[in-house]
Amino acid sequence: MQKLKVVLLASLALLAIVFLVAISTPYWFARKHDAVVDIHNPALIKKGAYLAYAADCAACHTAPHGRPFAGGLAMQTPMGTIYSTNITPDKKTGIGNYSYGDFERAVRRGVRPDGAALYPAMPYVSYAVVRDQDVKALYAYFMSSIKPVEQRNKPTTMPWPLSMRWPMALWQLMYARPRAFVPNKAQSPEVQRGAYLVEGLEHCGACHTPRGIAFQEKALHDTSSGVYLSGSALEGWYAKDLRNEGLGLAGWSDHEIVDFLATGRTDRTAAFGSMAEVISHSTQHLSDADLQAIAHYLKQLPARDGQSPHPILGVDTTTAKLRAGDYRASGATEYVEHCSECHRLDGRGAPRVFPALAGNSIVSAEDPSSLIQVTLAGGGMAKTPHDRMAFVMPGFKQLKNRDIADILNFIRNGWGNRGSQVKARDVARMRQLIDHEPLNYVPEAHND
Amino acid sequence: MTKSSRITLSVLATAILASMATLAVVHARHTPDDAPPTPALKVKDSQGTVVGSYRIPSDSQIAALPDGKEILYGKRLLNETARLLPTHVGDGLNCNSCHLAEGKLGAAGPYINAYNTYPTFKSRAGRKVSLTERINGCFQRSMNGVPLAPDSREMLAMKAYMKWLAQGVPTGDKVDVVNAGKIDTSLVPDPVRGKQIYGEQCASCHGDSGEGMKDQFGDYIFPPLWGNDSYNIGAGMARTYKAAAFIKYNMPLAAGRNKPLGQGGVLTDQDAVDVAQYFTHQPRPDFPGKINDWKNQKKPKDARY
Ligand code: HEC
Ligand code: HEC
Ligand code: HEC
Ligand code: HEC
Repeated sequence: MQKLKVVLLASLALLAIVFLVAISTPYWFARKHDAVVDIHNPALIKKGAYLAYAADCAACHTAPHGRPFAGGLAMQTPMGTIYSTNITPDKKTGIGNYSYGDFERAVRRGVRPDGAALYPAMPYVSYAVVRDQDVKALYAYFMSSIKPVEQRNKPTTMPWPLSMRWPMALWQLMYARPRAFVPNKAQSPEVQRGAYLVEGLEHCGACHTPRGIAFQEKALHDTSSGVYLSGSALEGWYAKDLRNEGLGLAGWSDHEIVDFLATGRTDRTAAFGSMAEVISHSTQHLSDADLQAIAHYLKQLPARDGQSPHPILGVDTTTAKLRAGDYRASGATEYVEHCSECHRLDGRGAPRVFPALAGNSIVSAEDPSSLIQVTLAGGGMAKTPHDRMAFVMPGFKQLKNRDIADILNFIRNGWGNRGSQVKARDVARMRQLIDHEPLNYVPEAHND
Repeated sequence: MTKSSRITLSVLATAILASMATLAVVHARHTPDDAPPTPALKVKDSQGTVVGSYRIPSDSQIAALPDGKEILYGKRLLNETARLLPTHVGDGLNCNSCHLAEGKLGAAGPYINAYNTYPTFKSRAGRKVSLTERINGCFQRSMNGVPLAPDSREMLAMKAYMKWLAQGVPTGDKVDVVNAGKIDTSLVPDPVRGKQIYGEQCASCHGDSGEGMKDQFGDYIFPPLWGNDSYNIGAGMARTYKAAAFIKYNMPLAAGRNKPLGQGGVLTDQDAVDVAQYFTHQPRPDFPGKINDWKNQKKPKDARY
């Protein structure tokens, strides 16, 4: 009995110490650094407005049909729903009372003014490398140019004990250490600029870099492992490999990458899901020079060991068969019935209207999440001024899991594509995920 | 057990229970994880009494049928008419350019009731018309081409597909699905406004000059809406309100997530009438057989001749 007591007391003491370490991090690990910022400086504000696009703040902090930057966008996690917060300069419910130090610490370190840790749904791990000058510009823009909106933040739906934030501070100790952007001096200034944008403000890695067991991104910049931007699944989407390799961007020209980020589509493909939002809210607003820089940076990310640096495309025998009425391949009949009106028998779709499925790395990606989700739930292209219309892929929830799996296996292995088998139960699982998508929080508009 | 260890234990127990409850909450969100059965449509007799039900069949059932090969051939001819029957098609269209989704879609000229409602009286002809004649009507007008021989392999195959689609609904009965949606025919068309709508909502696919868009083989992806490769003035689609009813419910495609082709639902009646007036009245082939139309019946107000 005596022994048990000692063990219990010791573990309690340990827990208490860990707890104290966690809640004290704002005083020693993520201290506040105040500075004076002239929030009325027009040049600074203008720069901040541009950087706010680059940082894609609106994608998360403006809910669909909600007020700009008033928060309320729902984000699904395995433990519950997190809602983005109000970042308008409203004094009661937004960030109106934030000093520059509060702002800087929230953006780059993920710590609220009250010391609580933010969930890494806010990409502060990437923003950590944003330069002081740029954070100041963002602060000036948010404090002086955004209309304050009084809208209370909606609490997360995570049940206790998962709702406690202090364990997040421990996570930050491990994975969100302070760091600065390290330019690779061997590269051209343009590629360095691309790296700075991709690693920092644009936080492409938050979606495109695989995550480890603690949900941490496995790399925050390009390392010899080549894991950075090598593709990752998130909320039922697979954000594909962006390295210069077979299923990555090897088959893309610089021009196509720029076109894709500026307009949301190319002649062969179109963004959907969260990528369409990244383009709508962020990349379409970037200057051509910055998009070129991003493209050049991505195109020089070397292929990983064992990956081909060239696009993979086999011989197309599918088109001839379908045109000759040979539908014997499993899934061919269903493809012709449900998909070919738009994606066509030759799998090439129509330029800028219907994406090609032939030679499309989304279609044959090792992780079929995006493929399954876009087929079940549909998807919408980004709306940009470049094209008159933004097209929508209808969802096919009315088809049986078995039929969808057959269709997907058909397109994954048609026209020279090579992909692993999708199972009916993968489709069933995605159905569940889509059905439980949380609703965004958008209160009635105020009368003002 | 001392008091303090009891307290500790109960704290631990509570924590464990709480985590279990959490897991339970996470897992309790269960809903059916496959698609529901295809919805049943009512079948009505000529008096309007419900006499049965009908489900749109899936093409995957065709291959196993005794006449599966013929049905499949019919389906291909309807899908790829211009390519497979070049001597009979005078424009760039396929039957399913208008009869969308293989004729399985309400308000888009479905073939669902074709097999069981013909022969039937048609006012344009002023007499009873057989299914074969109706199909050949579309060949001469909508396809600006020449009719198929009534007993040709091609005609029989198309009819076999339509018969299969009817799923044994007896002649005279009808599946409760509309061939064309409603449109307000009292609206006065404004082709100038129509031109603008055309540019915003149609030209991305059908081309700025209505020329359509072709694939690598020269077959149309998007059919032309006027010019030599479009239907002639004898086609139903050449009439403003018929075209407007089609467009309102079916064009543009890929505009929404909840219909099989993401079709329609974008234009108001006025928009549809305006844009229909604009593109139907662009240059298109004449129809020599027009002299025989509406000879003993009242001409509709949007007839082209
Ligand atoms: C919010 C998560 C998210 C962020 C941030 C993000 N992406 Fe994506 N991205 C996705 C998803 C999901 C897909 C797959 C859907 C698609 O292909 O449109 C994708 C796809 C892509 C594709 C492939 C499109 C295709 O059709 O093959 C490219 C290229 C791309 N992203 C580039 C970028 C770049 C560059 C950045 C940073 C500027 C970025 N992404 C940031 C989620 C994200
Ligand atoms: C009405 C036209 C239409 C039909 C029918 C259709 N799609 Fe699509 N599809 C689209 C459009 C438009 C997009 C682009 C969506 C976007 O970017 O948001 C798309 C995108 C896709 C993509 C993503 C490709 C990429 O690079 O962005 C896949 C995969 C896909 N469709 C598969 C299918 C399958 C499988 C079917 C049949 C079950 C199907 N589609 C039926 C119009 C259609
Ligand atoms: C340009 C558009 C267009 C094309 C192409 C077209 N049709 Fe039609 N079709 C119509 C319209 C419109 C109607 C309805 C006419 C009416 O309301 O009287 C129709 C009616 C029909 C009907 C009668 C349906 C019923 O239930 O009454 C059949 C059968 C038919 N078409 C078959 C065909 C076939 C077969 C082809 C190809 C050879 C074809 N159509 C090509 C527009 C078209
Ligand atoms: C996303 C591309 C797209 C857009 C936008 C679009 N259409 Fe179509 N349209 C099609 C396709 C594809 C077909 C043929 C259907 C098929 O092959 O399955 C078609 C068929 C038609 C037809 C019947 C065939 C013919 O040649 O007469 C008419 C009429 C038509 N469209 C009119 C319009 C009008 C008017 C608009 C604008 C309000 C419009 N469409 C917008 C893709 C489009």
